[in-house]
Amino acid sequence: MTDIRIQTENLCKTFRNGRLATPVLFDVNLEIRAGEFVAIMGPSGCGKSTLMHILGLMLSASGGRIRLDGRDMSQASPAERARWRRERIGFVFQRFNLLATLSAHDNIALAEQIRRNPPDGQVDRVLAAVGMTDRARYKPGQLSIGQQQRIAIARAVVHRPAILLADEPTGNLDSAHARLILDLFGRIHRQDHPTIVLITHSPEAAGYAERIVELKDGRIHHG
Amino acid sequence: MLRLAWANLLHHKIRTALSVLAVAIAITLLLILVGLAHGTLNDVSRRMESVEAQILVRDAYFDLGSLSGGKLWEKEIPRLLEVKLDQQPAVERVMPVFLGRMKLAGQSQNVFGIAPQDFPYFIGSRRLVDGGLFTDADSARELLDRFEQAGTMGDTTSPAYMPLIVDQRLAAAGDLHVGSAARYGDLDARVVGIVQTGVAGRVFAPINTLRAANGVAVQTAHLFFVKAAGRLSTDQLLALCERIEQATARSATLVADYGRIMKGNFRTLILFVDLVSLIALVICFLFILVTIYTSVLERCREIAILQSLGATRRRILLQTVQEALLLCVAGTLLGIGLTFAVRYGIETARPLMTVEIRASWLLGATAVGIGGGILSSLYPGYVALRHDPVEALSFE
Ligand SMILES: Nc1ncnc2c1ncn2[C@@H]1O[C@H](COP(=O)(O)OP(=O)(O)OP(=O)(O)O)[C@@H](O)[C@H]1O
Ligand SMILES: [Mg+2]
Repeated sequence: MTDIRIQTENLCKTFRNGRLATPVLFDVNLEIRAGEFVAIMGPSGCGKSTLMHILGLMLSASGGRIRLDGRDMSQASPAERARWRRERIGFVFQRFNLLATLSAHDNIALAEQIRRNPPDGQVDRVLAAVGMTDRARYKPGQLSIGQQQRIAIARAVVHRPAILLADEPTGNLDSAHARLILDLFGRIHRQDHPTIVLITHSPEAAGYAERIVELKDGRIHHG
Repeated sequence: MLRLAWANLLHHKIRTALSVLAVAIAITLLLILVGLAHGTLNDVSRRMESVEAQILVRDAYFDLGSLSGGKLWEKEIPRLLEVKLDQQPAVERVMPVFLGRMKLAGQSQNVFGIAPQDFPYFIGSRRLVDGGLFTDADSARELLDRFEQAGTMGDTTSPAYMPLIVDQRLAAAGDLHVGSAARYGDLDARVVGIVQTGVAGRVFAPINTLRAANGVAVQTAHLFFVKAAGRLSTDQLLALCERIEQATARSATLVADYGRIMKGNFRTLILFVDLVSLIALVICFLFILVTIYTSVLERCREIAILQSLGATRRRILLQTVQEALLLCVAGTLLGIGLTFAVRYGIETARPLMTVEIRASWLLGATAVGIGGGILSSLYPGYVALRHDPVEALSFE
C-alpha cells in the first residue's frame, strides 16, 4: 500500500463565486506509484492545473478523497497541509513564480529557510545541478526565461521532495530550451527517484514520462 | 526571512523612505511637543524648588499660572513668624517676593523682587559668577518721593538705575554682562550680577525698587517663601501649612508641590499637547497601514509562492509584520535623531526654551513605534492570508 504515493478517490472540484458554480473535476480516480514519472495531458481548460493544485494541497477538493503515502489529506488542517508542502512536495509553475526582489540564490535559500533547513551547501548543489552557479547573484529580471525556469526547478528540488509537481514547465520555452528542461527532469528522476507529475500539452514532453494520463472535461480517460 | 522583508523594502526605495519619514516626523512631533510642554513646566518648578524654603504663601486669589491676582502685605510677616507647631515657633524666616515683568533677551521675563538679605536663600548652593549683590532703599515710598522731587530715583545712596541680577542662561541668550543696560518700563535698568542657572528667578531686582518702578508705594508682595524652623517632615510641613492658613487666612502650599500645581493649571494645555501628538501618531500609522496594505496587494503572488513552498499562515503574517516593524523601527530611530536636532535648533534660536528629553520618553516613543508597526500591519497581514493563493499563482 505504501507503494502508492498519490491516490485520489472520486475527487470532485467545483469553484463557487457567489451564485456562480463552475464544476471542473468529476470523479477523478488516480493512482500514482512512488518514484513514478507521470504526464497529464488534455485540452486547455479541462482542469489539469486545478488537479495539480489539489494534488499539491494548495487547493481543497469539493468531494472525494486524496491520499498521500496512504494518509488521507482531505480533512488535514492548514498547518498539516503546509507541512507536507514544505517537506514532501516541490512545485514548478508555468510562470516560474520566482520572487523578483531576491537573487537566484536567495530565492532557493528562502525555500530552505522556510523549511528551517540549515544552510549546508544544498543551495549551491542544486544551482550547480541546473548549471546556474555563475548566475547565482542575478535577480530573476536579469535572467532569460529558460534560466528562470531552471532556477524554479532548482528551488522545487532543493529539499529532495517525494513529489515533484510541474505545470507546463516548458510552455513558455523554445524547443531547444524545452529539451534542456525536460532532460533536467529526466536526470532528477533517475538520481533522486521522486514521483513526478508533469502537466503538458506537448507530446514530446509527455514522451519523457513513464505513463500518460488523459484528462478531458474534468474526467480521466484511460487509454 | 528578514532578508525578504529587507529586499522588499529596498525594492521600493522612495515608498520606504517616505514611510520611514512619516514615522520619524510623527515621533519627533510627539517627543518635541511633550518635551517642550513638560520641559518648560518642569524647569520652572525645579527652579522654584531650589529656594531654601519649604512653604509658599499666597493670596487665595493669586494665580500661580499667570502670576497675577490678590496680593499680600509685608505687615503680615510678624504674624506668620508667630505660627507655632507643637507649642514651638515653627517659622524661621519669611521672604517676600514682588513680581514684575520686563523684556530681556528678546523675551518677556518675570522679575523676582526680593530683599537683598534674602538673596542667599534664593540662590542656595549656587553662586554669583560675576558682579555682586544689589542694595535697596528702605521703602518704595522713599524712592517714589525722591522720584517726584528729582525726576530720577537715583541719588548718592542708591544708583540711578534699577540693578538686576540675571542667570547665566539668560545672560548667554541676551548677551548680557555686568554693566549691560536694559529698560524696565520708562526706567533705566542695569545688570549688576550674573548668577548660576537653576535659581528660582531668571531676573532678580531689589524689592522696593521694583515696587516703585511699578508705581506701588505700599509694601505689598505676591508671594512669601516661608523657611520652617528646624528639619520638618512632610507631614509636619503640611500641618504647618494648615496652621498658617488658620492664622493668616492666606493659602499655603508646599514648594515641593509647585510642579503639581502648575501642571494642574496647565492641564488643558498638556491635554491638548498629548492629543495633538496622539493624532499625529494615528495619522502616521494609518500611513504605514496603507503602505503595507498596498505592498501586500501588490504581492499576492509572492505570498502565494511562500504558501506553495509550505510557509505557514503564521510565517506569512510574520512576514508582513516584519516589514512594518522594519519601517517603524527605522522611523523611530530617525525620529529620535531628529528630535535631538530639533531640540538643538529650538534651544539655539530660543535659548530660554527647555525641551526636556527623558530616557523613559525615548523608550516610550520606541514602544509606540514598535506597537504601532505591529498594529498597522495586522490588517494587511490578515488580508494577505485571505487571498486565494492559486489564483495569484495562475493569473497576472
Ligand atoms: N478560481 C476559479 N474560479 C472559477 N473557475 C475557475 C477557477 N480556477 C479555474 N477555473 C476554471 O476551471 C477550469 C479548469 O481550469 P484549469 O486552469 O485547471 O485548466 P487547465 O487544464 O490547466 O487549462 P490550461 O491548459 O489552459 O492551463 C477552467 O474552465 C477555469 O475557467
Ligand atoms: Mg493550466
